[in-house]
Amino acid sequence: MQEPTRRFTRQTAVRIFAQEYQEASLLEEGSGEYDPSFVITKLGAKINRALVCGVIDRMERREGDSGPNYSGHVRDPTGSYLFTVASFQPEMHPDFEELMARFESGDRFLLALVGKARWFETDDGGVFTSLRAEEFTVIDRECYTSWLVGTAEATLRRIDAHSASLESDLTPAALEAAGVPSDLVDGLILARGHYGEFDPENYRLGVLQALSMATGRTAVMEESEPAVPPPTLDEAVSHTQEPQPSPSDPPGDALPLILDTIRSQDAGEGVEYGNVVHALVQSGHSRESAEDAIDDARDQGEVMEPRFGYFQIVPE
Amino acid sequence: MTEDGRYAAQVTVVKQECPDADEKEIEGEFKRYEVEFLIPPEDALRSVVRKFQTAAGMEVTKMSSPAKAEKKVNRFSELDADDRNVTLEVAVITYTPRIQMVRGEERQVAFGWIEDNPWENSDRRERWDYKDWGEQGENLAPGSVVRLEGASVNEWNDKRSLNINRTTRVTVLREGGSPVLQVNDEPVSIATASENEGYVNLVARLISSKPDVIVKRDGSGQLDVVRGRLSDSSGSIGFLSWVPLEHEPGTLLKIDGASVRKFRETPEINIGDRTRVEVYHDTAFASMEDLSQANKVSIAELRNGMRDIEITVQVESWNQRSFTSDDGTERVVRSGDVIDPSGLCRLTAWCEVDPKPGDFLHLTGSRVQYWQGSPDLVVDDAAQVTDLSDPPWDSIDPEQHWVDADLTTVVSGGSRRGISTSGTVVAVRRDSGIIERCPECRRVLRDGACIDHGPQRGVEDLRLRFVIDDGISNASLLLSKDPSETFLGMDQEAVKEQVAKDGQEGFVASLRERVLARRMSVKGRSIIDDQGAMVLADEVELDQTASTDAANEVMQRWGVIL
Repeated sequence: MQEPTRRFTRQTAVRIFAQEYQEASLLEEGSGEYDPSFVITKLGAKINRALVCGVIDRMERREGDSGPNYSGHVRDPTGSYLFTVASFQPEMHPDFEELMARFESGDRFLLALVGKARWFETDDGGVFTSLRAEEFTVIDRECYTSWLVGTAEATLRRIDAHSASLESDLTPAALEAAGVPSDLVDGLILARGHYGEFDPENYRLGVLQALSMATGRTAVMEESEPAVPPPTLDEAVSHTQEPQPSPSDPPGDALPLILDTIRSQDAGEGVEYGNVVHALVQSGHSRESAEDAIDDARDQGEVMEPRFGYFQIVPE
Repeated sequence: MTEDGRYAAQVTVVKQECPDADEKEIEGEFKRYEVEFLIPPEDALRSVVRKFQTAAGMEVTKMSSPAKAEKKVNRFSELDADDRNVTLEVAVITYTPRIQMVRGEERQVAFGWIEDNPWENSDRRERWDYKDWGEQGENLAPGSVVRLEGASVNEWNDKRSLNINRTTRVTVLREGGSPVLQVNDEPVSIATASENEGYVNLVARLISSKPDVIVKRDGSGQLDVVRGRLSDSSGSIGFLSWVPLEHEPGTLLKIDGASVRKFRETPEINIGDRTRVEVYHDTAFASMEDLSQANKVSIAELRNGMRDIEITVQVESWNQRSFTSDDGTERVVRSGDVIDPSGLCRLTAWCEVDPKPGDFLHLTGSRVQYWQGSPDLVVDDAAQVTDLSDPPWDSIDPEQHWVDADLTTVVSGGSRRGISTSGTVVAVRRDSGIIERCPECRRVLRDGACIDHGPQRGVEDLRLRFVIDDGISNASLLLSKDPSETFLGMDQEAVKEQVAKDGQEGFVASLRERVLARRMSVKGRSIIDDQGAMVLADEVELDQTASTDAANEVMQRWGVIL
């Protein structure tokens, strides 16, 4: 009954909110031929596989040399995850096409997704995390809220372990003695050695938003006024609304910056997508609004993407 | 290095080519190549033949070159004595380098043990000696798993070993784990010794010891051994001594250079002629009384291969049957299900024991073996069984006896029956639904053929395969026909109709929409092995807890106020 190729035990799917995953920049690549790779978050989650849920937000198909590949965004209360379906996963193409048809007709829905951790690094060392889909399906609101609760608890558990680690030596024995659960020990040692000081309160805010959504107390979310307002559930399951532009986005600000960035960095090959996003993030845009702005700039013909992932100024 | 027949195979080949050459001289030449030039005999063959052909004034012929085609194998047993270009994956157990001076130059060779079938438990592997002629030590760290390409088989005195040559490619597939404990290390605790295989030093109290015999598989006789248990305050471990061990139970022993080997899933201390055992004095060491509790276990703690354990159980059912054994004698075996607060298992008795359901039995010196993937308690002698008049717990209702265990407990424990656990579904296997089984062996047919019985007219069956995951641990979940039908709310025929209507993909997609990212409670049994954990469900149910309630629980547990 066991698949003969399954030589290593399967990696567990970590429950994680988008913000914690987005902000991770530490990578661990296995040294052996079959060793798994991980994205390690500031709170010490070691992620090879994750279970995420949220509102579908953008779906795209691209034609590559080896066939079509797909990408999409799923948005939870704290931010959004980029996920991809590769050309070598044809078994998922029909499902994605079907969802994309729904999406393009203006439908919005909640999606559950299990994916493997992927990333790309920009030349200046920026890391962008994503998930390569293994399984996804449309879910209902109850399933989404139960994921919110589970992920809130998983995040609280990590915040707790992280704060315990601040009082402890960074050795496995000391951390376990300080009450850090054994599945978090490795990741915390690596994370504490890599990331500078940060305020885990940000992650707690996401937990509070998730819990208040799950308990139906949406008022709290309005008071907290996060930079990117999380979609409410009604928005998520309503069938008509297009995603609202973020009100905190300085309007018109992004385009000149995109043009400047491309103009100054293009050495003839175009400028990598990640570098453009990075420049926008550096100047205070959220990653989401940055991605939206680049898409808009391309769609309106301000910049062009002659090769996937590389941008150039449209010649006059 | 001078054993007779060491080079017999190669000498025979040289004799075929040069009938007049002297065998002693040929042997001497091979020895010289091996000792001085560090060239193993099989690689030296051509040079030696050429030398004797030249010496005899023969025209140097091109020897019919042995088949150099690559031979890929999984097990040592598939190898022949003259295989020269072998590819296989092995686990490196030990690596002992030696420096030899060769013509004024320091050269390193190394000896050690490797095991085939490296992704399986060590009791399903075969161990061979190997020699590293190619200074590949960097890639042969003990504990690692490597792929060898271009290794060659060496045979002498009917014993085969593997040569890793300069030209052998060694690819590390898995880095070595914790390095093998060194012989010179300080003594370790039994708990530490149980975690790794390799050499250890121990200070432990001898709890029990009795002579035993091992009958050699090839029928060439039997070996006298000693078996028993050792304990310290960290735990207890069985031992097997290949040499006489005459200390009395209760003696505190210092044991240097014993090896830890796994018998099935249970680590065991091996004492051999290179192990030093001496009486040790430490008045602070845990006493016999303190340690005697150590081998009391509960059903949840049973592991395949355990011996000499003490346990109390409640009998749930009891049957006996007789059969004719291989030697023609009539034998009776009794067995039944037994439970304790930690779980359920089967008890087999090869002796006259006739308890009634509801009786409590105290077993000593019992052993554990696997039956269909679950641990089974075995007693061989009625003296091992005491009927307790004073029950240690209130009688358990066997109908309701599902022991709750979170997924991490299930996955990190041994195989168990009668458990109730839960996790979120994170994968729906694409072969869920209607399958065809081989009518001979019930294995699933692939493309209409059985791996053992060839093309077959399959017998249809229904099963569902998921992966459940709680964010910390995960396990495969298998629903056979009955639980599948109950869970789906339709019978096998109805599933077949749906698959015919929507296609296999459509069926799986609808199943995925129903279960993915949803929490599922499972009652059934677990099978834990090196491949991971599998739960065979008797009953599954999607969790219906309202998110609001779950959220309130989480807020209470973590002291969160909105």
